[in-house]
Amino acid sequence: MSQQLLHTLPTSRRHFFSAAGLGIGAAALSSLLDQPSARAAKSSDAAPGLTHFAPKAKRVIYLFQSGGPSQIDLFDYKPRLREWGGGELPGSVRRGQRLTGMTSGQASFPIAASKYKFAQHGQSGAWVSELLPHTSRIADRLCFVKSMFTEAINHDPAITFFQTGTQLAGRPSIGAWLSYGLGTQNLDLPAFVALVSQGTGNPNDQPLYDRLWGSGFLPTKYQGIKFRGSGEPVLHLSNPPGIDDSTRRRMLDDLSRLNQLQLDKYADPEIATRIAQYELAYRMQMSVPDLTNLADESASAIDMYGPEARKPGTFAANCLLARRLSERGVRFVELFHRGWDQHTKLPEQLPGQCRDTDQPAAALVTDLAQRGLLDETLVIWGGEFGRTVYCQGQLTPETYGRDHHPRCFTVWIAGGGIKPGLSFGQTDEHSYNVIENPVHVHDLHATLLHCLGIDHTQLTYFYQGRHHRLTDVHGKVVQEIVA
Amino acid sequence: MFASITQSAVLLAIVVSPLWTRSVLGVEFSADLTFNRDIRPILSDNCFHCHGPDEAQRQANLRLDTQDGAFAELESGNRAIVPGNASGSELVRRIMSADDSELMPPPDSARKLTATQRDVLQRWIQGGASWQKHWSLIPPERPALPKVSNPEWPREVWDRFVLARLESEGLQPSAEADKSALLRRVTLDLTGLPPTLEELESFQTDQSSQAYEKVVDRLLASPRFGERMATDWLDAARYADTNGYQSDGIRHMWRWRDWVIDALNRNMPFDQFTIEQLAGDMLEGATLDQQIATGFNRNHRGNAEGGIIPQEYAVEYVVDRVDTTATVWLGLTLGCARCHDHKFDPVSQREFYQLFALFNNVPERGRATKYGNSDPQIKSPTPKQQANLREIEEQLAACRAELDAQRPQIDEAQATWEKTLRDEPSRDWWPGDGLLVDLPLDGSIVDRCNPSGKVAANQANLTFPVGQIGAAAEFSGEQRIDVGDVASFGFLDPFSISLWVQPQTADGVMLGRMEEAADASGYTLQLDRGKLQLNLIVRWLDDALRVETTEPLEMNRWRHVVVTYDGSRAATGVKIYLDGQPAPLNVLVDELNQTFKTKSLLRIGAGGPGPRYAGKLDELRIYGRKLLAEEAEVSANSTPLHVIAALPAAERSPAQSKKLAACFLDRHAPASTAEIRSKLLELEKQKMKLDQTIPTTMVMQELPEQRATFVLTRGEYDKPAERVLPGVPASVSWEGQPSIHNRLDFARWLVSPQNPLTARVTVNRIWQLYFGQGLVKTVNDFGSQGERPSHPELLDFLAIEFISRGWNVKALHKSIVMSATYRQSSQMTPMLTQRDPENRLLARGPRLRLSAEMVRDQALAVSDLLTQEIGGPSVFPYQPVGLWKELGDADFKQDHGEALYRRSLYTFWKRTAAPPTMIAFDAAGRESCRVLQTRTNTPLQALALMNEVTFVEAARKLAERVLREENKTSQARLETMFRLVLVRAPTPDEASILSSGLARHLEHYRRRPEAASNLLALGESPRDKTLDVTELAAYTATANLILNLDETITKP
Repeated sequence: MSQQLLHTLPTSRRHFFSAAGLGIGAAALSSLLDQPSARAAKSSDAAPGLTHFAPKAKRVIYLFQSGGPSQIDLFDYKPRLREWGGGELPGSVRRGQRLTGMTSGQASFPIAASKYKFAQHGQSGAWVSELLPHTSRIADRLCFVKSMFTEAINHDPAITFFQTGTQLAGRPSIGAWLSYGLGTQNLDLPAFVALVSQGTGNPNDQPLYDRLWGSGFLPTKYQGIKFRGSGEPVLHLSNPPGIDDSTRRRMLDDLSRLNQLQLDKYADPEIATRIAQYELAYRMQMSVPDLTNLADESASAIDMYGPEARKPGTFAANCLLARRLSERGVRFVELFHRGWDQHTKLPEQLPGQCRDTDQPAAALVTDLAQRGLLDETLVIWGGEFGRTVYCQGQLTPETYGRDHHPRCFTVWIAGGGIKPGLSFGQTDEHSYNVIENPVHVHDLHATLLHCLGIDHTQLTYFYQGRHHRLTDVHGKVVQEIVA
Repeated sequence: MFASITQSAVLLAIVVSPLWTRSVLGVEFSADLTFNRDIRPILSDNCFHCHGPDEAQRQANLRLDTQDGAFAELESGNRAIVPGNASGSELVRRIMSADDSELMPPPDSARKLTATQRDVLQRWIQGGASWQKHWSLIPPERPALPKVSNPEWPREVWDRFVLARLESEGLQPSAEADKSALLRRVTLDLTGLPPTLEELESFQTDQSSQAYEKVVDRLLASPRFGERMATDWLDAARYADTNGYQSDGIRHMWRWRDWVIDALNRNMPFDQFTIEQLAGDMLEGATLDQQIATGFNRNHRGNAEGGIIPQEYAVEYVVDRVDTTATVWLGLTLGCARCHDHKFDPVSQREFYQLFALFNNVPERGRATKYGNSDPQIKSPTPKQQANLREIEEQLAACRAELDAQRPQIDEAQATWEKTLRDEPSRDWWPGDGLLVDLPLDGSIVDRCNPSGKVAANQANLTFPVGQIGAAAEFSGEQRIDVGDVASFGFLDPFSISLWVQPQTADGVMLGRMEEAADASGYTLQLDRGKLQLNLIVRWLDDALRVETTEPLEMNRWRHVVVTYDGSRAATGVKIYLDGQPAPLNVLVDELNQTFKTKSLLRIGAGGPGPRYAGKLDELRIYGRKLLAEEAEVSANSTPLHVIAALPAAERSPAQSKKLAACFLDRHAPASTAEIRSKLLELEKQKMKLDQTIPTTMVMQELPEQRATFVLTRGEYDKPAERVLPGVPASVSWEGQPSIHNRLDFARWLVSPQNPLTARVTVNRIWQLYFGQGLVKTVNDFGSQGERPSHPELLDFLAIEFISRGWNVKALHKSIVMSATYRQSSQMTPMLTQRDPENRLLARGPRLRLSAEMVRDQALAVSDLLTQEIGGPSVFPYQPVGLWKELGDADFKQDHGEALYRRSLYTFWKRTAAPPTMIAFDAAGRESCRVLQTRTNTPLQALALMNEVTFVEAARKLAERVLREENKTSQARLETMFRLVLVRAPTPDEASILSSGLARHLEHYRRRPEAASNLLALGESPRDKTLDVTELAAYTATANLILNLDETITKP
């Protein structure tokens, strides 16, 4: 942002901060300064924006696996299940905990062992299933949190919980919080970008919803901008047919002059902001096509993301795009990959899901590392819950399925301030309950914010009579996994 | 002296504080401190968290939110507050303490008092610590009018409050806005649409002193008023066209939406508006409209996800009703008290559940219907449909009367016909209408409805012993007849199955369209433990319907069976008749949500996961409609017609008589009877057809017995604690208030003149419509964490007026727009911008960006594209292709023609993928109640206005509009275009920028005819082919510019 523009902008706080870009985290900062509390003191030495201590990570790429990947078939190796397979899940394991309406009426709960082979990988000896060969190869770069747990047992509330810290709609998503708290590093691009892709394992799987990247009660400018795989990457980005760039540029010049005349007359600072926003829109028009144009990538750089990397809208293409967005300073990039809801016929569906994601996700981590960006980029892979050890549907090696399981599942994290080569937390022999180092969703959020230099208790927004946080009134940083 | 301190405080506040107005307008540095204005906010922010209403969290047994608590003797023997004695007050000692272990608030609490706040608290205690109930809970009283030095300025009485305040701040009101700005402002405000040039002309030439009032009255009477005001009410009511949550299927609540528009247009008093929406169903002799109105509290989301625990969501729905109702009418954030006593306001958790009890009495289910409305719902014909229905009913009655009149002739003709039957002994009759499959099973497996169809039996040893009529097929539990791809039904299709059965084993699938695999979907009719069972299954356990007879069938005995399903998706829509009589049923699963239609073929003797059937089957017929009880009775009668005819009339059973009569009327009636009968049948079909088009709408209903409500520990559905009865919070109650047992009592209590909140909250929300913010800025929070009113006396004055004028909504709107306050110019000055950037003091008129709906509606209006029609089902205007598809499997089908140009409040609102341009312009997401307006200014707005087809098409139509005017110079055309949008003429500077731009575009498109045609091809409205392409393109580009001006999307 030029000094020039800064000067044309008004001094009133409201208007000052409504200028996107200018408000690099300024909005949250102002909320902070408002508080006659310890918070103001803390922030005085944090610049720019809202950081409470030196951040390890500057950006996040969240590879969200929507539907609930089976920890039992991918990461949480339980050798004794083979011998117990087909037998009834002991009540002592289940402890009467609630089940979804899909299986609570089942007459029996037979144990379904994973049909997949597991092996230990890397120096760290992390257990990973044969379905994820590429992930296995980078095991030493990853931190496997095997003791994640959540509260919700159905998709909508569970995903909403994971993305907003509350099961019900209406709260800001993680990226919106970060965009409010930290702003963007690139004035030509949004601070928060969402990318969606369709799983091939289960093509008609659970839908997604705009609220997952929404701004909730935060102003809408903090919402994630969904970049689309087909058509225009950003809605209405392109000029209409018949209006070329030069026409648009000159039209914008005229617009700016006309708006300036109004500004002179009304002295309303909103007009100055409007002028700046049209300029930003124009810069987006110029920079986004460049972003999605892969001409400047070498063939090998693209190929490492796998055969689908050139097919827009796939998870692989989105991983590559995520790297490009992140490189350009986009604070929070979140991929949503659908298709992980294997209630029945898991062996038919899971390999496809893994094929979609294994190579691209591993390539992304490797690519970031090779470019020296992994240290400052936090990469997270995981879904909204895990899956049950007991079978849903017909129990055969080819047809077994698993219901939703909130009590334990695995998420892996890499880069930006997280210890690599670590498997953290433990579940019982049935992969049913966490028996060591439980990590709640709020804890993961607190840790994520911590890596970005934010104290999760201090990133707040006043709405409907109280200060709200991403972590509500809970959450603790999982210090053991922080480097 | 004070003024200069205040000013520097303001400057400081501008730099650091988003809530600066709170400090400016709240705590003034004056000698006379007021508890509610100066003290409570400090205590609430800093102390209530641990020393407030929440009993569970309360520390040291000290309560600072009540006078009794604050003045009481503590366990230590000290008193937190000793009125008149600051130094003797423990509170003062602790807030001033240098010892971190004693300091309050505790240093690690993230709360801290400023030096000023500490000083204010001390001075207040020293001055006697006078206490007040929270301001919003003290009933409003008509305040005395303040003295003002410029008595000429006020136009409404209450303008004096604004003026007095300005004068006390040393400020002057702004001059009145010029006529064109005023007209544009008030027209947008009252109708959501811009004024026309004719309206401008007429206003400008009307020099009478009532000129403005005439405009206001015209606008208030316009049907556009109801649409405009409904939009905000829809936000508050979280109205949408889908259920929300992940599957987010369609629902139909537009009848409620239209009720709101109509009520607003008819100026229904707000008390009635309230009562009908909250409890219209409970009014004596509730009309259809009053029932439709109750949809307000069914507009919340509904979860249809497979596998949810219904009780969990049943609780969420009620919580949503309580939250929404409390926010909209009481301005209270009651949701906080769901899990614990409210931390800041005097509402206990127990009281939250007393309110919960009021809304917990609806005969509903926790799991919503996936596609469509969830119970309770009613058929809600539109006035036009009601008229059509009446007309058909009248004709039907006439036909029936005519048949009755012909009865003697018919009886005579039937008697003659009966005699002929004896000569044709093989004839029989069964209902023929809607017959899809007809398998007599008389020694072969031919389907008489599809004689060329390939019916095949997979086992040759199927035998055909003697049956009920002719032969029957006998199965041994091994055979299977594949009938083919017939009788394919989905969950919305009514159908019936009629057959004779004689089972030999207690378990077996008689027929079905389902694979013989455990997780198959489809339908079956089978025996399970001897009971006759109908299964409609999408996914077993959570998306299925299973109904069976309470009693098992006797083995080896012939029974006639008719099963009917009415396509309602509910177990109540299934009937099973045994030997023509309805059998008592057990509902085992009633969770059908999606269609069970499959590709599996129709099979007999099998057709599902259970064992195959062993026993005999005969006369199998399947219908694509629901058979009536009489038809079931007749079908069960196996006596051949000639045998019945041979019996004396007195010896025939009722079923026999009916069968004979039905057959006669069906096939052998005399010509005149047949004619009327066919007319009657035709009318009945018409009625059924009309009936199917009648929309349903979700409503509130009461269970006959009050459902027990419990306090839920931590708000969790599965942790009920003590039982509570319906009631309202004590802090909002008043002496002598009527007792509250149900929703109707509650609704009446809300709009009782004694209620301290409802009128204030309502006038405040309406004030926000005009000024962009309420007098209480936190329109959603009148509690102690909310802001104090900027003009408390004005708020009370308006509230009292509102009540005393019979809750007259239009009168309130009129009073606001007629006021001098509203009519001020919105021009800012550097001094005002500095002093009061948010215009809390009202020293100028409101200058605000238009709402999302207005931005679009205005573009449609000025381009003459807008469709005027009011109400009806929601429409699907332009939306980028694939938006829904990339999130889920729902497919967006864009409308064409007029539906593209309806007002935005009619746009189909899908909660999980809301119309993107609406959201970009800050429309509410409609997932939950929203009453607080927000306005942002973002690049996405710019992109939409520049490039979205809606706005580019509007630019073209606007260009066509001015180009069609004959004999005009380009300058005149530009001016018209400008005036159509901005309701004023361009200044010379503006005109010159526009003309040079136009000249440039003309030059550009002259060289690029293809670009011109491309631009003009956008949008589905036809292009005016009589206009020159180059010119039209150039004007379109210019119009695109005008539609992007800041002024265009801003209320002047």
